Amino acid sequence: MPSQLATVSAFVEGAPPGELADVIADIKALTIESPALVSQLGPAFEKYNEEQFATVKLPGSSQFVIVSSHNSLGNGRYFDVESSSSFIFDHATQKASGVQSYVLESNHSDLVNSILKSLATHVKEHYPNASYGVYPIEDDSKIAILVVANKYSPNNFWNGRWRSLYIYSPSPSSLSGSMKVDVHYYEDGNVRLLTTKPVMASISSGSASTIVREIAGAEKKYQEELNKGFNNLSEGAFKGLRRQLPITRQKIEWDKIAGYRLGQDIGGGSSKR
Amino acid sequence: MSEADQFDSALDLLRRLDPKHTSEHLNSLISLVPSLTEDLLSSVDQPLTIARCRKTGRDYLLCDYNRDGDSYRSPWSGEFETPLGGSGPGGVDDQGNNEGAGEGAVPSERVRKMEIRANEAFDVYRELYYEGGVSSVYFWNLDDGFAGVVLLKKVATPAGKSQGTWDSIHVFEAVDRARTAHYKLTSTVILHLSTGNDALGEMDLSGNMTRQIESDLPVDDDTSHIANIGKLVEDMELKMRNLLQEVYFGKAKDVVGDLRSIAPLTQANRDKATHQEMINSMKR
Repeated sequence: MPSQLATVSAFVEGAPPGELADVIADIKALTIESPALVSQLGPAFEKYNEEQFATVKLPGSSQFVIVSSHNSLGNGRYFDVESSSSFIFDHATQKASGVQSYVLESNHSDLVNSILKSLATHVKEHYPNASYGVYPIEDDSKIAILVVANKYSPNNFWNGRWRSLYIYSPSPSSLSGSMKVDVHYYEDGNVRLLTTKPVMASISSGSASTIVREIAGAEKKYQEELNKGFNNLSEGAFKGLRRQLPITRQKIEWDKIAGYRLGQDIGGGSSKR
Repeated sequence: MSEADQFDSALDLLRRLDPKHTSEHLNSLISLVPSLTEDLLSSVDQPLTIARCRKTGRDYLLCDYNRDGDSYRSPWSGEFETPLGGSGPGGVDDQGNNEGAGEGAVPSERVRKMEIRANEAFDVYRELYYEGGVSSVYFWNLDDGFAGVVLLKKVATPAGKSQGTWDSIHVFEAVDRARTAHYKLTSTVILHLSTGNDALGEMDLSGNMTRQIESDLPVDDDTSHIANIGKLVEDMELKMRNLLQEVYFGKAKDVVGDLRSIAPLTQANRDKATHQEMINSMKR
């Protein structure tokens, strides 16, 4: 049997977009007998925030920056290229502090900055509310490009998140990563949309505009496929499970239910009516 | 912190965590707070399991209401079947009583007669609406009437990579009054859908929704009960099917569109402004 810590850590990992605080409140209530448990959840919070691309407003700034494993400096500190700053992120409260200026030292500084510019235009055109980041990773050998869009509407019982992660490798010039959508609806129920689509593409040139054009194309195509997916499930699997009305297009006459005979009224009932 | 608060927290958590894995989350919660075991098992709906009746060879559905320890009562034979192959009349309490709700309950002779008729009726209902699947109805006695559960399950035949499972769980109480009965129905539908291909990747749309209604309906004899419950369940399923369609394929899709717009936003905003201008000019 998994330990209690493993059990509650798994609950943290499963928190829907924008509902981490609610999940933590539930865990606290359920583990009231062993309060030490919640204080041991630090690693689970860190994993959750980094995987979900948690966003935070830096003190004195209006823009959100991303928290992920790709811009981690260790010891709870993360950097953001666009604002040239680094900051401490408290994984339990999701608040930032200790902002310092951060100068990017990378052989790809120019490319990182021009990808940021092209990406900003792309994000503005397609996301009403999103944060993005571009970071050199793996000893300055690759570049991580992140986009995360959140929309929370707890008063209407739904929340949603779109996450894109692309890793750009310069030689040979290629892009790999994934796009993920997570939507939660919970009015008198619990409905969840979870999607993931891997991205793999080789790119003709390593210019920022070519890279972002590839990203824009992949995202557009994916969103169109997703809409087709909704349609296919609605017209296919859903319809195949339960009919809206019997084949006779009439509701059942329950007073005569004993008289319904298999093979006659059922299926071929139209011949009699 | 009272046990009731903990129970509410457990239900709140189950309403938030991935509904595709409700059974696993339920087991985790039970291991975390063992004192909640019975309350959780009796109030959290899980996907139904299918078993085959040894006596009649017909499939039936397992749930907490036809369970006695490890054995389950088949609605077709009326007998409990153990995993080891035995069958019997079910649990009897220390007063020699086994009619009420609870472990190993079996309905009285009158209620069992209605249960048999309800199983026949919902078998027809199942064929008309589901064109396949499995149905089971279990009744038990109440002091002032009776109660029961109508279960329906259908697994979609996979076409390509698409998959689907529908579980309906309708729990009702029928309290006798003069020439009428008061019905209280709580219905849950658990619907799992998934699809995928190279262009789409993996797409999973899963969940459950619960609705309740109460209704007073005329009763002439026991046959009226079957017709009344049938109508209530039929209306509820129609309502819930429409609701599921709206949430799964309307709401969820809209939220994705709210997160990201396929059309460039400058153009979308321009279209919106033009539209607004047209409306304004028509108002003038």
